[in-house]
Amino acid sequence: MDRRDFLKFLGISSGTAMISSCGVDKANEKIIPYLIPPEQDVYPGKPVFYNTTCTECPANCGLSARVNEKVYDEVRGLFPTKAEGVKGHPINNGALCPRGQASLFRLYHPKRIQRPMMRDNDGNFRVATWQEAYAYVTTELQAAKEEKKDNLYFSGRTTGTLAGLIGRFCEEMGIERLPEFEIFSHANLRKANEIVFNQPEVPHYHIKDADFLLTIGADILETFVSPVSNAAQYGEAVKNENFTWYHLEPNLSMTGLKATTRLAVNPHSEIYFLAYLLHALSRSDIRKRRPSWAIMNMVPDPSAEEVSQKTGISAENLEHLVSAFFIAKRPLIITGGVSTAQPGGLEAALLTALIQAAMGMNDTVVDFAHSQNYEKVGSMLDVQELLERLRNKAVGVIFISRSNPVDDISANFNFVEELKNARLRVGMSDFMSASMQECDVVLPLSHSLESWGDAAPRKGIRNVIQPAIEPQYDTRTEGDVLLEIMRTASGQKQGPDYNQYLIEQWHSLYGESETVSLIENGYIEEPVSPLSIAVDTRSVESYLKNTDFSREVAAQPVLIITPSIRTYDGRSKVLPLLNEIPDPLTTVTYGEWVSVSAVAAKKMGLKDRDEIQISVENENLNYPVKVQNVLPENVYMVQRGLIYAIKTDIDSRSGEASWYLDNISATKTGAVIPLPILSGSMHEEGRGILSSHESVVEHSEHYNEKLKEEVDVEEERIYPKHPHKNYRWGMTINQDSCINCAACVAACYVENNIPVVGQKEQLQGREMSWIRIEPFVRDDRDIEFTLMLCQQCDNAPCEPVCPVYATYHNPEGLNVQVYNRCVGTRYCSNNCPYKVRRFNWFDHRLPKPWDKMYNPALSVRGRGIMEKCTFCVQRIRAAEDMAKDEDRLVRDGEVVTACQETCPTKAITFGNLMDDSSRVSQIARSDEAYRVLEELGTEPAIHYLRKKERKSEA
Amino acid sequence: MKRRIMPLVLSAYFVLFIIFVVLLAYFWNRDSKTPVQPINFSHQIHVSKVGLQCTFCHDKVDKSTFAGIPPVQKCMSCHKNVKTESPEIQKLTRYWEEKKPVPWKRVYSFKIQNYVYFSHKRHIKAGLDCSKCHGEVKLMPQMKRVRQLEMGWCVSCHKANMAPTDCVTCHK
Repeated sequence: MDRRDFLKFLGISSGTAMISSCGVDKANEKIIPYLIPPEQDVYPGKPVFYNTTCTECPANCGLSARVNEKVYDEVRGLFPTKAEGVKGHPINNGALCPRGQASLFRLYHPKRIQRPMMRDNDGNFRVATWQEAYAYVTTELQAAKEEKKDNLYFSGRTTGTLAGLIGRFCEEMGIERLPEFEIFSHANLRKANEIVFNQPEVPHYHIKDADFLLTIGADILETFVSPVSNAAQYGEAVKNENFTWYHLEPNLSMTGLKATTRLAVNPHSEIYFLAYLLHALSRSDIRKRRPSWAIMNMVPDPSAEEVSQKTGISAENLEHLVSAFFIAKRPLIITGGVSTAQPGGLEAALLTALIQAAMGMNDTVVDFAHSQNYEKVGSMLDVQELLERLRNKAVGVIFISRSNPVDDISANFNFVEELKNARLRVGMSDFMSASMQECDVVLPLSHSLESWGDAAPRKGIRNVIQPAIEPQYDTRTEGDVLLEIMRTASGQKQGPDYNQYLIEQWHSLYGESETVSLIENGYIEEPVSPLSIAVDTRSVESYLKNTDFSREVAAQPVLIITPSIRTYDGRSKVLPLLNEIPDPLTTVTYGEWVSVSAVAAKKMGLKDRDEIQISVENENLNYPVKVQNVLPENVYMVQRGLIYAIKTDIDSRSGEASWYLDNISATKTGAVIPLPILSGSMHEEGRGILSSHESVVEHSEHYNEKLKEEVDVEEERIYPKHPHKNYRWGMTINQDSCINCAACVAACYVENNIPVVGQKEQLQGREMSWIRIEPFVRDDRDIEFTLMLCQQCDNAPCEPVCPVYATYHNPEGLNVQVYNRCVGTRYCSNNCPYKVRRFNWFDHRLPKPWDKMYNPALSVRGRGIMEKCTFCVQRIRAAEDMAKDEDRLVRDGEVVTACQETCPTKAITFGNLMDDSSRVSQIARSDEAYRVLEELGTEPAIHYLRKKERKSEA
Repeated sequence: MKRRIMPLVLSAYFVLFIIFVVLLAYFWNRDSKTPVQPINFSHQIHVSKVGLQCTFCHDKVDKSTFAGIPPVQKCMSCHKNVKTESPEIQKLTRYWEEKKPVPWKRVYSFKIQNYVYFSHKRHIKAGLDCSKCHGEVKLMPQMKRVRQLEMGWCVSCHKANMAPTDCVTCHK
């Protein structure tokens, strides 16, 4: 190229660049008023909160929806932008789990069913009107009746007024209501409680009142029955100095890693331990209500050696455990989850119930009066009966509501094929799930944040479900659908809608004033009649007569299909946020994997992401590997909901679906599958991030004295000390109560408009979370977790390297990132020892209509900008604004960060470190406090409280 | 042949480019300062003649970050009966009857709207008069932008009044 050509090209390219850089002036943007202002006093800066109910899992926590005013698609309106827990709610007390936090992604999901659908003549779905669908369903119901076929109603767990209405609907329309379907039906637990106490229920466990907790298989902090309630209670219990918790499990769960002592047991060996414990109890002097000897003779009495040998618990640990259990004042034993969803699960649950009775727990910590309303939930036995009826072509119209049996029921039951034998399948759901694909008529249900309703998660609590937004599509609540079908059938034109029906119900139940408080508070507590719980010896005897306790302990490798804290039974898998945030134990985000123990992986020469083939009988399953330390050698784990293809059996006595595949074999295939594993290393390589004893001592020597006596130590500094005027914001994280549930991670995403980047970006290590959970293998028997977020350092290494002053220390101690200044050099991220800064490689705006969810209180960052935790500066500013109106300083507890607000165990405290009386500075001065990488002299504003010593036996 | 076409293409390109820049500069400024509103609303009539207070319509100015733009319902509360013969009011009535909010054009905005969180409330509570930023609105038959909202101008006033100049005061 000669000089002339070069100049020409230079001219053209610079001209083009200039034109393309001419932006659009914002002055011509529209400014849209309301047509009619809303009744509520909502304006920018003042959101309104509606107390309603989370319907992401059967626990039905109280959910408080934050509704903000904003303009969307040229319409000014009110949009839910955040889900919080209802303060003071008896179940979750202000907290939510990651699924609850992510539930707004369901509300605004672009793939929601938006209109009623019916099959056309070719069998394809077409859009229908509601009237058309109602008329069709009504005629079909009549036709099926004339053919002498049974019309059936098959739904997920239903409580409250809707349960009553379904009953009325079925009665009036001549439909048989089938037992409700939940794959986690706790069938063995309920069956055992029925045999022992005549109470076929899942009791409410008062964990907070216990001083000794023994959990067997029950992942109480993750998915077991009501995890947020359990976690909140654990947060209370752990404050008690003497609280001890033993957890026995064949697999590895986060719950187990939180226990004071985690004991690994051989798969299917729990009953030996429980039988031993029961007999030890009957022999000891501290028993309260010893089971009658007739029963005891029927329960095998293994010796300590035998139990040790069968379960794999060392004799020493066994002795410690039993004696600790006996000396406890208020012990609590819970068996569930993986230990009841197995061939010996019914016996395990039964022995547990006997131990509970013997220790007098039914009067204190095992509460049947407040049981969890599972009485209408059936089991796989009921599903089998349904399949039989389908096979015999005895089913007319079948309604499938709020459940996904096609995915949930193991493929060997052939549910899809048998379902085709029904005359008509009517589906009610919010998503086109696999089950809805099999239906002939699909009626779209409104999201719970668009509907009126109520729920009774456990006896004595009624939650309200109320709309926070108008239905976005042509959807209805299930109650309205049923009322309208009844009207269509009877030829009535007008009638009450479900909202009026509900209000009538509430008025008759609670009176008018209580109804108002139900709607305002979001819940009402009703008195329950006390139950006297006694062991029904005759029923136990007759059961034990036919029971063979000698169960083979599975020595061969087993595959355990566990529930997942991110997807529960798979129903929350459609929410992209839950795929984006890592599974806390493995840090895997997108995709499916199988966890293989470190020992087995070493033997097979497996590394993370290597593919293995798991074979059982004639089935082969191929998945990438995540090497899992601490997991017992012969146990492989996958998560339910990520993987549906696995065929499992059921317990023929109770109908509990097994979580096990025994006798599997695993072989390396040689392939490598890309799997985003966010943790670079499972080892902290001696950097002192975890609460080693030394870091705490060092901290208290150097820092605590300084803080207490306010001695200004002259240190060598390049930059002058930062003056703080009224506030220095700080945080404490109690590692003892933190359960690593990742609720804070999800809350942070929603509150701070953090982009969801997807699998492709994450595979390149470009995750965006501002707060993360880091698992570290401590030794081969324990994994410890820590929360990592911007430490808001006083001497922040990121600040001096920024060439444009986009990150700086503000007078309130915040390490601020100014997005519009940032030019994206990423020097700050390079220099951050905590690796908490995130770079926007692309514009990652949420696709419509998910962007309705954006929090209007802060910006949505674009491409080329660095971002990180701000200590929820928008919340700090709002509190300061309010304080300024009243001409005062911000009070302690007025600023609540998103992570702190949703924490089930209240592990996070936030406040002003300059105020000596604030809770955060009191906790920061504790002898247990330390700061991460303190030796670097960064002076972080986050203080961690050391985790107490614990033991884990592999 | 090739030698003749190239200079021609190049000079045409540059001429077009210059015309484009001139046009852009011309329309850019004129449009943004006094945008043509869908209804020719006069602040002069409402404030000077009728004597309405600013907060009568912009009722959130002392409560919220935004001053608030009145709902169409509020306009109609008077204009159901007042001056219904005016073609501009008939436009308003049409919006109301068609249940469409009036698509007003924004007069004041920040260059980087997405990153600035200006609070009207704080400025009103500090005792600032609306005219300090918005000019003599009561004399404007057509709303006109009198200030370019640039950060230097904000900061100079903040400094003069000892108001905070910390970045997170406005940027978050």
